[in-house]
Amino acid sequence: MTTAPILKIEDLRTYFYSRSKQAFIRSVDGVSLEIAKGETLGVVGESGSGKSVTALSILGLISVGPGVISGKIGFHSDRIQKDLLQDLGDFVKLTTRAGKVMEVTKDVVGWERNTERVMSKVRGKEIAMTFQNPKSSLNPFTSVGKQITEAIRLHTAMKIEREAKERALTWLDRVKIDSPRLRFDNYPYGLSGGMCQRAMIAVALASEPSLLIADEPTTGLDATIQSKIVDLLVELKSELGITTMLISHDISIISRLSESVAVMYGGTVFEYGPAKHILSAGFESKHPYTSALLASIPSAQNIREKGYLPAIEGDVLDTINIPEGCRFYSRCNQVTEKIREKCARQEPDLRQIESGHKVRCWLYFD
Amino acid sequence: MPKTILEVIDLKKHFIDRRGLFSFFKQQRQSIPAVDGVSFYLKENETLGLVGESGCGKTTIGRTILRLEKPSSGKIIFDGKDITSIPTDELRQFRSQMQMIFQDLDAALNPKMDVRDILSEAITVHHRISDTEVDNRIGDLLEQVKLKKSKLSSFPHELSGGEKRRVSLARVLSVGAKFIVADEPTSALDVSIQAQVVNLLRQLQKQLGLSYLFISHDLRVVELISHKVAVMYLGKIVEIGLSDRISNRASHPYTQILWSSLVEKQSKETVQKAKNVQAGRWGVFDFEGPAAGCRFAPRCPVYESMGKPMLCTDAASEPRLTDIGGSHQVACHFPP
Repeated sequence: MTTAPILKIEDLRTYFYSRSKQAFIRSVDGVSLEIAKGETLGVVGESGSGKSVTALSILGLISVGPGVISGKIGFHSDRIQKDLLQDLGDFVKLTTRAGKVMEVTKDVVGWERNTERVMSKVRGKEIAMTFQNPKSSLNPFTSVGKQITEAIRLHTAMKIEREAKERALTWLDRVKIDSPRLRFDNYPYGLSGGMCQRAMIAVALASEPSLLIADEPTTGLDATIQSKIVDLLVELKSELGITTMLISHDISIISRLSESVAVMYGGTVFEYGPAKHILSAGFESKHPYTSALLASIPSAQNIREKGYLPAIEGDVLDTINIPEGCRFYSRCNQVTEKIREKCARQEPDLRQIESGHKVRCWLYFD
Repeated sequence: MPKTILEVIDLKKHFIDRRGLFSFFKQQRQSIPAVDGVSFYLKENETLGLVGESGCGKTTIGRTILRLEKPSSGKIIFDGKDITSIPTDELRQFRSQMQMIFQDLDAALNPKMDVRDILSEAITVHHRISDTEVDNRIGDLLEQVKLKKSKLSSFPHELSGGEKRRVSLARVLSVGAKFIVADEPTSALDVSIQAQVVNLLRQLQKQLGLSYLFISHDLRVVELISHKVAVMYLGKIVEIGLSDRISNRASHPYTQILWSSLVEKQSKETVQKAKNVQAGRWGVFDFEGPAAGCRFAPRCPVYESMGKPMLCTDAASEPRLTDIGGSHQVACHFPP
């Protein structure tokens, strides 16, 4: 696959400011990603690793200061080609010391006006997103059918209400909601969690976007419902061939749906490459964090052989005080004496170790 | 031979639907059978896993056993004593031995109290001890649940999900509980943190001889931590047995569907198979008017494939739990 990437993120940084700690929370700290046309990119990582903030930054939905402070987001669909962060440099002034951002001055109002201008033809129309909590993301005062109709009339060429309504019904049917005609007038509170998720997928897809960002589509659902949402996503993928960025902390879901995977930790990408390589147990060269993450998936085999689950000790990185050196150093169990010095002092960069497979770890480069 | 710490006999909890201002005067009041005749026992130092979809009555069982809800009928025998209807002041002494880890910890931990206050309150509620002893006890507890001392002055909103679980576990241990109802203790946690919590629960069980009723809808975790597993559907246990047998030789069609829906276990072929199984009506189930006879019949693939036998929908013959060998019980007319 050598098609041009539909989305290319380069060195994205999104910071927040904590007033009580008087420091920056470096939620996204230098993320670079690519999504090729038609493929599904899975983004895995523990909570707090910056997965959702990356997604919100793409859509320009960060409204707390300072927010996005540097980076490039190149978007290339059939209809629109542009940098979603264009002219960012005009609004932000960074003071750096030894590669670390110490101070940010940002014209937030001006930047927001600029984002609205840049994103007006993109958000919802070209890039659609389903949010983590479907119940609170759907409008509680509007019936589900109306919300889909609204998306269709706003973003597609179909402007006549009656036609849009018919189209909305086919969408409800397509995401497998039983008796769509009855459900059309239901309000979100009357739907179960799984149905809300389906409805939100319908709202997102109704505008026929080039890229769908699905943020944790299965969290908080029962196992039976989860697998049905995954089935639905698989089916929609083969039917519509839609490019998807799938965010989840459930590795089993990512491994079923995506062609490539980005493993995130502490605001950066630790590993990036083809899913079948990275997420299969037999494959050798992987980041220690990925292997640890894979090992901590509960399986009866683990318990029988070792008597416990191999957990990753310690907590998720505190993105306020990012230590010198590798971000994973304090929890890593594969540090050898030879590279210990390097791990503690110097942060590795994301380097290619074989075609299409990048790793951020000193283990693989001398 | 470990002794039986908890025995539940034909426990029922029916909620009465009180909708409307004058519902009190209504002649016909609808009751919702959240738990409808459940029996099981739990030995000391053992874990019973309770699985089922949300809304099937798992949490209600836990709450009713601890007498947080008043049971409608049936018996709860804790440590040899019938506690089904003992008065509240007598119940107090049992409360220190049986405790619950609640599902929603944002609601269960007081947001205006720091960790030290939360723990010291729990310690002093059942035992009258001096401040220095309380401090010592808090120190011990923190060590047991592997929580840093520096977190003592944190408030719940400053803690991560895993830390909150640890605090609630410490609070439960602080009163000296032997039997713990753990309601979805690993939901909404990352796999790495989930593994930490599961390991901690297992370790404490070994150290302190605890017994757990482990409620979860995450089948993988239940399979791991439990000695026995009970599968619930619509307020009834449909299958109960040793953890190994339930995960490898599930007999009830519902259990089989639950297990096949584990995304991780699905290869391309089993996905197709599971799809065929699930192709039947798999809508929302109706608690207010459960089907006559076997409750699972409307969704059951076996019922469908056998040409809808009368026996399954006969109101007079609801399937009972019957032993199929190896202390494995199934409530189905046609176990494979």
